This record gives sequence, C-alpha cells and structure tokens, in this order.
Amino acid sequence: MEKPFILHMLTTAKNLSPFDVNMAMDAGWVSAMSYTNIEASEVQGLVQDAIFSRSAKNLKRTSIFIGGRDTKQAMDMLKIAKRSMIPPFEVSVFADPSGAFTTAAAMVAAVEFHLLSKFNTTLEGKNILALAGTGPVGQAAAVIAAKAGANVRIIGRQLDKAQHAADLCNNEFGEGKTNIQAGADADKAQYINDTDIVFATGAAGIELLSVELIASAPQLKVAADVNAVPPAGIAGISAMDDGKLIEGSVNGAVGVGALAIGNVKYQTQNLLLKRMIQSDKPLYLHFEHAFEVAREYMKTTHYK
Amino acid sequence: MKRSILHMLDPMPNNSPFDINMALDAGFDVLMPYSNVKLESVHGLTQDAIFSRSMAGVKRTGLFIGGRNLGLAIDMFNAAKQAMIPPFAVSVFADPSGAFTTAAALVACVEKELRIKHGKELKDCKAMVLGGTGPVGIATGIIASLAGAHTTIVDHLYLETAQEVGLQYNRRFGCDLHAAVAGTDREKIDVLSDVDLVFCTAKAGIQVLNAKVIKELTQLKVAGDVNAVPPLGIEGIKREDNGAPLICAEKCNAFAVGALAVGDIKYHVQHDLLVSMLETEHPVYLDFRDAFKTAQKILA
Repeated sequence: MEKPFILHMLTTAKNLSPFDVNMAMDAGWVSAMSYTNIEASEVQGLVQDAIFSRSAKNLKRTSIFIGGRDTKQAMDMLKIAKRSMIPPFEVSVFADPSGAFTTAAAMVAAVEFHLLSKFNTTLEGKNILALAGTGPVGQAAAVIAAKAGANVRIIGRQLDKAQHAADLCNNEFGEGKTNIQAGADADKAQYINDTDIVFATGAAGIELLSVELIASAPQLKVAADVNAVPPAGIAGISAMDDGKLIEGSVNGAVGVGALAIGNVKYQTQNLLLKRMIQSDKPLYLHFEHAFEVAREYMKTTHYK
Repeated sequence: MKRSILHMLDPMPNNSPFDINMALDAGFDVLMPYSNVKLESVHGLTQDAIFSRSMAGVKRTGLFIGGRNLGLAIDMFNAAKQAMIPPFAVSVFADPSGAFTTAAALVACVEKELRIKHGKELKDCKAMVLGGTGPVGIATGIIASLAGAHTTIVDHLYLETAQEVGLQYNRRFGCDLHAAVAGTDREKIDVLSDVDLVFCTAKAGIQVLNAKVIKELTQLKVAGDVNAVPPLGIEGIKREDNGAPLICAEKCNAFAVGALAVGDIKYHVQHDLLVSMLETEHPVYLDFRDAFKTAQKILA
C-alpha cells in the first residue's frame, strides 16, 4: 500500500494560516498536521521525530512546511531543519512565513515581466523603492530584487526601522551579495526622482504613493502593489491591473495590482508544494526557489 | 463503513510527528490532535469520543496517549479506561515519547542476542540502564525488571534522581529498580564491573560509554543503544549493528545492538499495535507490557 502524503506544518504563531492549509491540500498533500507555538529550539526534535518514523522510500511522501510571521525566524528554522536531517533519513522543507516568500517572488517576477515587455529592460541596475518594505513581503522582495542586480531602498515611516530591515536583509538573507539601503518615508519625494520601480507592501488601506508623486517620477517604469483593500497602496492602480498604464505617469509607467500578483503567488506556492511531492531528493525551499518558480510560471503564461 | 478516527491526546503543546506518521501509515483515516490536555480532561474527552458513534463506529475509533512523561501518560491511560461505559468503549494505546515501544524493542533485541550468543535469559543477568532517568530509560528499566533482570537505573548527575525513579515506578508497576550514579569514566567502570547487560538510553547525540570504559568491562554480554544521532551512545557501535561484536570490548565477549536495529523493531511494534486497534472486535488497552510481548513475537 502506498503511504499517504503527510505535510507537517510548523508555525511560531498560535495557529496555522488556513491559506497554507488549503494550499497544501490542493497541491496533493493528503494529511496536513499542525504544530503551533513552535520555537526554534524545538525544530530539531520535531524534524527527527518525522524522519525516523518512515522508511527512506516513504520519506519521499513526507515533508515539512514552516510558516509563522517572521522571515528571520523562518529562515533560521529552515536551516535548523536542514541540519537535523540524518541521511538517508531526510525530507523536504519549505519556508514561506506569512506567505511572504511566494508573494514577494510573484511580485518581483511580474514586475520583471512588464519591465521587459514594456521597456525592454531587466532588473539589473534599476533603482527600486520598497515602500513600507520593513515587513516580511517587503524584505523578501528587496532581497530577491537586489540579488537580481537592482539597487533597492527599503522605505519606512521610521528611518531606524527601515535601516534595521535593510541590515537584516543584507546580513541574513543576502549572502554578502546585496547592498540594500534604507530611507525615511518623509524623504520619498526626493527618492522618487530617480526611481525606476516601486514595490508597495504596506498594510491594507494605506496609500503609500500619491498621484502627485507618480507625476513627479520621470523614470518610473513599473509599480506593484500587494494591497487588495481600497484605497490602493499606489494611487491609480486597481487590484486587477496587470501591466495597465498608470494615469498621470509622465514616463508611461505600468501598474501591477494585488490580484495579478496574487494569482502568480498562488501558482508559485502550489508548484513549490507539488515540487516537494514529486522530488526524488529532499529540497530546502525559500524565497530564492519561489522566485525561480515564479519566473518559470511567468515564462509559460505571459512571455510569447 | 465509517472512517476510522484516532483521537491523539497529548499533555504537551504539540503531538509528535513520529506518532502522526505512524498512525496514518497504520491505516487510520482521520487523525485528530488534542494538545495541552490535562489529566482531569481525559474522562470528558473519552466519553465525548465514545458516545458520538454507533457500536459499529466505536470499533472504528481509538485513543492514543502521547506526551513526554511516563507517569502522567499511565494516569491518563487509566483515566481513559475508567471512562468507558461498555458497550461504549474504544481501544486506548499509550506510548509517551514513543518510549514504551522503543524500550520494548530495545529489551527484546538485547534478550534475543543474549539467548543466541550466550544462551542466557534476562533473569540470569544484571542490567544497567545508562541515561536511565528519561522516558525511554525508565520504560526500559521497568520492562527489564519485570522480565526478571536485576536492573539498575543510572543517572549521570544525581543518585537521588535515579532513586526517585525507582520509588515511583516500583510502587506503580511492582518492578524492582535499583539506583546508581555514574558521571566520570572511573565511576562508570565501577558500577558496570559486574554487569551483563547495558542499555544506553541517553539523549540523542551524546556518547555515554567510551572505549576506555568498555575496555575495562569483564562481564558485559550485550549492549544496546537507542541513539541514532552521531556521536552514538556507545563508542564503536554502529547504528545498523544487530548482534555484531562490540569492537571496543577486550576483556569480555560482548555484542552490540544499534539504534536502527532497535528502531526497526520499534517501528513494527508501534505499527502492529496501532493496526490491532483497527482490527480488534473488542477494545484493547495497550501499554509497555503489550509492546514488549509484541516485540518478542516479532523477534521470535
């Protein structure tokens, strides 16, 4: 008898996200088991309990998902989980705290597509403002874009918080290859002058980029907004937009809205969860792999 | 046919992924975890489970009791049993920390090698349980003692810790556990000088017995280790060892049982017990005694 597919879902929060549970079931996992209030110190024990209770063959039908709300915690737990494997007793692990890794990957991949199709250029050397970029999605998007060669500045209402997020990204996730900067929200009128791309990853219902600022952005090319709740994070972008001209942009910038990003995010998370089911070797998946998969998905659906 | 449900009661904040894998693989259709369960809640939870299904449904329902604490698990096990109102009764299986099935497998594997290699029985032997004050160590001590071995629980820090284990579990199960303390190599050589069997049940990744100590032992016949994470509990042992000569032993003819050999039997014991809950006509109540019998049967 074939053993059922089990996904052990770990979270630092007091509950799993129903989003992730639905996604796991729909990707083909038969049983999704929840482990809540997990601390980093418990990860090794849980992982080793999971790997020593099935044969190496059936471990291919077993994986671990790491949720939670915090990017660093999730990345640390992913590293601990990987270190806890005792080959051939090992399973795949996928970290996607708050869905941030797949959301960020989807946003950057969608922006990259519109950059190429409308402006025939790449992320390399572009100036990016990550507005309200101190949260999980902003951090992950900043790292992904910076690794693709962009100059990213994380903007926060408080400069010290933005600086802290930028340092975290460079030190923990950038592997020494990124130089993400920080800036204060009060100074964004000045930064917008040489900005090519805007990521808006703020809380729902807060406008981060006004019509006036868009009009004063001479080289703005693509603006992406993950907020699906009106008012939009970027004035003039609606949730369904997927490369629509932003009214008032002097450079013909296009917008990508939350539902367009959400669709790519959904596909990306689904593909990563399926990849763990299909893989012959254990995989350790985070924002980088999410970006690879999101790019592949954009290639097969958007690029001609 | 109604789907089979295993209600998994655990006093800890989370169930063990080990038990989850095992329960699904044994064929339970639905696993329902209950975490942070208190002893006084077990009666109510059990009656909620038995009164919500028909007689046919009750047969497709089981309770599993996990956790990290043996005494608490046994108390919960007894509370569940007492809550049954026949014919509304479901099977209950206690295996806190997997300790009952691991200990059963360990003792049964060592017993088998003892018979094959030395023609002796547990009742002829002196046994030491190193790292014996954790769940697997205590269960190992209880099973070995009830099988007739003169059994000593060894703590690496305090004699009192080992003595408390003896007091509590001798009273509970009518076994006869002795206590000792051994932290240094010298102390280990002393307490092990006339010992026939060593059970190593310390934490994963900790070497409890090194070559220096093993070299000095004269009576050792079989050593078993449950630690699968390097460094292993006994120097020179391999995880796959199943009756291989213990490399470091120079003054005795000792054989080794490694963690994967024990783990393989443990796996089958836990699997068989879970399956028996699904197949039985009458409710079964399974603890370390059933686990040991099952392990012996598998190895026979």
